[in-house]
Amino acid sequence: MTLADELNERGGGGSAVAEPSPARTTARASFWYPYLLIAPTMLTLTIVSLIPFVYAIYLSFHQAKYGRVTDFIGFDNYVTLFTDARFWNAMGVALTFVAIAVPIEFMLGLAGALVLNQNIRGRSILVPFLFVPTMMAPIVVGLLWKIMLAGSWGLISYNVLERFGLIGGTSIFASPNLALYALIFVDIWQWTPFMMLAFFAGLQALPLGPYRAAAVDGAGSLQIFFRLTLPMLAPLLAVIGLLRLIDAFKVFDTVFILTGGGPGIATETPSMLAYKMTFEFWNIGEASAFAIIVWIAFFVFCNVFYQIAKKRLNAF
Amino acid sequence: MSTHRTSILWTTVALAYGALILFPVFWMATMVVKPTDVMFARPTVFLFEPTLAHFDYVIKEGFLHSLVTSFLLCSVSTLLVVLIGTPAAYAFARFEMKAKDDLFLFILATRMAPPVCLVIPFYLIFAKVGLLDTFLGLTIAYMTFNLSFYVWVLRSFCRDLPVELEEAAELEGWSKLQIFRRIIFPLLRNGIIATAVLCFIFAWNEFLFAFMLGGKALQTLPVAIPKLITTQGVRWGELAVIGMVALLPVLAVVVFLQRHIVRGLTLGAVKG
Repeated sequence: MTLADELNERGGGGSAVAEPSPARTTARASFWYPYLLIAPTMLTLTIVSLIPFVYAIYLSFHQAKYGRVTDFIGFDNYVTLFTDARFWNAMGVALTFVAIAVPIEFMLGLAGALVLNQNIRGRSILVPFLFVPTMMAPIVVGLLWKIMLAGSWGLISYNVLERFGLIGGTSIFASPNLALYALIFVDIWQWTPFMMLAFFAGLQALPLGPYRAAAVDGAGSLQIFFRLTLPMLAPLLAVIGLLRLIDAFKVFDTVFILTGGGPGIATETPSMLAYKMTFEFWNIGEASAFAIIVWIAFFVFCNVFYQIAKKRLNAF
Repeated sequence: MSTHRTSILWTTVALAYGALILFPVFWMATMVVKPTDVMFARPTVFLFEPTLAHFDYVIKEGFLHSLVTSFLLCSVSTLLVVLIGTPAAYAFARFEMKAKDDLFLFILATRMAPPVCLVIPFYLIFAKVGLLDTFLGLTIAYMTFNLSFYVWVLRSFCRDLPVELEEAAELEGWSKLQIFRRIIFPLLRNGIIATAVLCFIFAWNEFLFAFMLGGKALQTLPVAIPKLITTQGVRWGELAVIGMVALLPVLAVVVFLQRHIVRGLTLGAVKG
């Protein structure tokens, strides 16, 4: 195989699931050269991320209100946090949000990917537009749905929700019972197309060999899906699902613009609560403790994501 | 014949889904030129005389300033990320290093940390050193998510390049800089552009940092949006204008970069 062929094959992007490449990718160099190359990045990241992290740890062990850092108080901020009903409410909100939104996005995404994978005309025109909800600013996503679901005049509020007697006169985002589900709906609108396209990329990269063999054996399409497609796609599904889980937990912008965590604390996600603790109550010590807990949880998730992607998907 | 029919069925399903997904965007686009007096009508008014009144207000309120701010901020921070991050991405793809996995995981963790966790210490530190509401301050803050993202994704592009060319060049006695300029950079150019454009979009879309660490003298487009939602009333038409302007670069990106978006958003785990 010539170099050009190899370049074409590997650089051409034909495969979506990274395969263990037969060619060597590591090069030899003097010991210090790679460290020299990564030094600016590592230095920058240390300044913009490690220092704030360490500072947050420091703050979390101190009495810090209204921007004044005073006494060292040990784990008091953490204890206050864990006994705060509002903290557990935020965790509950996040859990509900993630537990409903992510599985729906996942299933719809997978179904959509299977549809996309059929012999569809005009696919190349459709696909770019499916990226729009995911790539647009979350604050604009919020605005969009504020418009669609606005009080008495929103297109959906008036023509669907009110007509079917679900809710009338006020915005669904003002309803203590329904606001969270409205936010979940917005999240599903925003992320399902992306899940669909990511899974579709995975489907397109599956090897054809096993399918030919299955066709020869006369396997049914359900059997093919559960015995071939699903197992081959599993690592990719895991990685993308996990990534979405992590992102969904962080949701802030859309909540901020649509409900502000309200009504009351009905849609107060952890990010929203941490924001309020800091910039509304100026309870910085406790907010920092909160941030540290969330941060540590994220390290764990990150690690799992990395291990699965690396070992099972041969990515990275 | 039946395959033909199923093809039509699935095409219809897919197009219907696409139309459903995009309808809210279309609806907001109509509000850009919808006169205020029919906007709140019940039942909904579908046909109206288009107006440009919302543009007038938006321009008068210094919104163009936000547009320029957003553009400059995103460009400068993206450029910095490319300059700092490219060598690192290359090094992570190519060379053996001690504790490489740990270093790499540190980068991933930086990317995945919830922004709200970072904004707390950032705010206090920036207040102390006078970086609040400054261009430099926000540029630094944007590094947290974009530099780590850039290194992580560009590394996956680097891994697609064969190492043999570089080795041959080394045998020819080329310097490291020559190899970088004449081989790696040209081969990597598409990857760099794709990743950088995604960084630009992330910065363009970013809200929390821009809102808390900037917001007064330095106001980006996403920050301009909630400011028009006040207790006295909401300027929906103007909001729709800003929303659509904020959407324009995104539309360009989905059309020209679609192949790389999946790869970018899965941090290189899935090659689109």
